[in-house]
Amino acid sequence: MTLSAPAFDYEDHLAACARGDRQALRRLYDVEGPRLLGVARRLVKDTALAEDVVHDAFIRIWTRAATFDPARGSGRGWMFSITRHLALDFLRSQERDVELDERNEPALTDTGELDGLLHGARLTQCLDQLEPLRRACLVHAYVDGYSHAEIARKLDSPLGTVKAWVKRSLAALRECMG
Amino acid sequence: MTSGDGKDHDLDAQAAEYVLGTLPSEQRQALARRLQHEPALRAAVDAWERRLQPLQELTPAQLPSDYLWQRIERSLDGLSPAAAIATPSRWWQRATPWRWTTAAGLAASLFMAVVLWREAPAPVPTYLVVLVAPQDQAPGWVVQASSPRSAQLIPLGMAEVPAGKTLQFWTKADGWSGPVSLGLIKPGERVEVPLETLPPLEDNQLFELTLEGPSGSPTGKPSGPIQFIGRAVKVL
Repeated sequence: MTLSAPAFDYEDHLAACARGDRQALRRLYDVEGPRLLGVARRLVKDTALAEDVVHDAFIRIWTRAATFDPARGSGRGWMFSITRHLALDFLRSQERDVELDERNEPALTDTGELDGLLHGARLTQCLDQLEPLRRACLVHAYVDGYSHAEIARKLDSPLGTVKAWVKRSLAALRECMG
Repeated sequence: MTSGDGKDHDLDAQAAEYVLGTLPSEQRQALARRLQHEPALRAAVDAWERRLQPLQELTPAQLPSDYLWQRIERSLDGLSPAAAIATPSRWWQRATPWRWTTAAGLAASLFMAVVLWREAPAPVPTYLVVLVAPQDQAPGWVVQASSPRSAQLIPLGMAEVPAGKTLQFWTKADGWSGPVSLGLIKPGERVEVPLETLPPLEDNQLFELTLEGPSGSPTGKPSGPIQFIGRAVKVL
């Protein structure tokens, strides 16, 4: 599975943005805005904040379109990474303030959602080789933006153990995926 | 594939946790800065982005409100190239006496400057803003707008900015719904800020510099503590 949908040429539209074509940005927004908002909403857990993130993301997509390099990844993936990292910057910068707040989060045990949605992806096969709980750590860190501390709290495990788990699971994933 | 080399493994492990999102704020910012000039690290991050991106399909899309695109467009209209193209002014940096100007001296200097400008046929400043630190009112920057099209932000010293932070410049007139970003500012850097896309400067218009993360406020509005603040005064 890749991030390029066949019918829409993200790279072309990014190149047009780099030339100052605002219509191209509008089309990227129409096609990708809802997905990026979904991603940001799941990370920052608040719709208004998520809209702030997507706003900043589109400004950044516009101002940095000229720096997009197709050799480094797909255009769609690039937009997604910009959005996700803005949301993560926000989450991590808030960490000290909300450390003790219980965010309303799902438990760290269900990974059933993986099965249907990622069928056939290499990533899924490699994630399947991890113990369910360790797999859940990675998935929730990635899609829900959990920090080490949040994972540790959810699992009621020592922080050091969780850090080691994450590190080893990533190494195993790397080994499996190449 | 890296094999055996501990340094490569370290780099790859850091890239992985950066992409996964589990790096704490300071390490995150430090790594983001390294990305600019470390191609090996950037390649490792790119590879991890590609590996993990299929997971984004787990998240359902959500329709944005009708206002979001309007907001983006407004921001595009007001976009200031200042942060990107700002070039430090060498003559200014050499003018060390300015850096040590006290508040009193500053007032005199500004007066002199205004007098000099008045005598010159060249553009006349219509607005001045002295940006002071909120705690002790120490002046740190001056904004001068000598034409409706642009303003200059001039440092009076080397503002101290903690590692991993940056100064973001904002303005807001009384009738506006919120502050507008005028770009990211480096300490001690003089910048020319285009104003064409903003309404004409007003008396009492607020200007401020806030301390934000390395890529500016994540919310599009000032989110960090105010470092310097002041209001526009008509000088002629």
